[in-house]
Amino acid sequence: MVKPQGGKPSMRAFYLTIVAIAVVGIAALSYLASRPRRQVGEWDSSLPKLTAQGHVIGSDSAKLEVIEFADMECPACGSWATVTEPDVRARLINTGIIRLRYMDFPLPVHKNTWNAHRAAWCAGDQGKFWEMHDAIYANQDKWNGETTDNPDKVLAGIAQGVGLNMDQYAKCVADRKFQAQIQSNYDEAVRRNVNQTPTFVFGSQVVPGELPYDEFKKYVDAAIAAQESAKKAK
Amino acid sequence: MTRRMLLALVALVGVLVATYLTLYKLGYIGTLVCGTGACELVQTSRWATFLGLPVATWGVGYYVAVLALAIAGTQEQFAGDRRMATALLALTGWGVLFTAWLTYLELFRIHAICRWCVGSACIVVVMFIIALLDYRAQAAPQPGE
Repeated sequence: MVKPQGGKPSMRAFYLTIVAIAVVGIAALSYLASRPRRQVGEWDSSLPKLTAQGHVIGSDSAKLEVIEFADMECPACGSWATVTEPDVRARLINTGIIRLRYMDFPLPVHKNTWNAHRAAWCAGDQGKFWEMHDAIYANQDKWNGETTDNPDKVLAGIAQGVGLNMDQYAKCVADRKFQAQIQSNYDEAVRRNVNQTPTFVFGSQVVPGELPYDEFKKYVDAAIAAQESAKKAK
Repeated sequence: MTRRMLLALVALVGVLVATYLTLYKLGYIGTLVCGTGACELVQTSRWATFLGLPVATWGVGYYVAVLALAIAGTQEQFAGDRRMATALLALTGWGVLFTAWLTYLELFRIHAICRWCVGSACIVVVMFIIALLDYRAQAAPQPGE
């Protein structure tokens, strides 16, 4: 027999306790779910302009420059790059509405991310940064820190697939030719208090998280509208 | 309060914790990002999904199963049923093994500890201890046996 402690337990009190815990728990979860999901920040325009350059895709004459701080090994960045970014390129970048500036933010928690950022920059040295960027994200599961201790070997295979001159690529990676540039991108993120990836900057708004296309477009529209009303006010 | 009642209440807390983690993983609470926080790292790792579903969702199902079984065990017709005590011990024991595997992944593969996962692991261990005490009480000679 299950031994009641202190006399026969009251089933009514037990059920009431279950209901009370469930109600409090559901209320807490509802409160958490109803809070704004994104902590949108303000881009501090009083700071000196970007000193690091990153890589840009899109027209110089685009209406808006969107900045992305991203980590090559970050799954959320990988998901955004493979699922949403193709739409962003087709509908916003290729149409001249925005250009996208990719800023490296290799987070210390990701073991192989620096290798991937160096590989992408070395591809950029041969004019194929974006091709390598796409291939690195598409194959993130093959070279990430949970999969391999030798990411350079896997990344070299990806580089070959992209069609790089492999001698030049291998020397670039071995020399860590662009280490300082990646570091300056990283420093820029830190200086801007960016602490997660991906983080997007639309005009004066700093928006963290993997944004679906519609939400991304909403921020683009808002930033362009704000720019235009600021121009009119002048 | 009987041991099985206590087990049901602890399992209910587990349901809530696992539901929170599921909602986080699905993007209903917070934003899916990679940050310096260990929970984000664990939740965005490839180990956070098991057989196509978030591990946290499996956790919800598991805790609901323990909750249902524990509530059933409080009913008069099952109060003296040793098979019920055995089933609760087996279910919570399996939970301990699965949690041990997840903790191994956190420590040695992902190299990050998520405090919510630690909370869930503590709940699983507490449930196992309660189920073990219940099983031992059932196994002991009963008055009149």
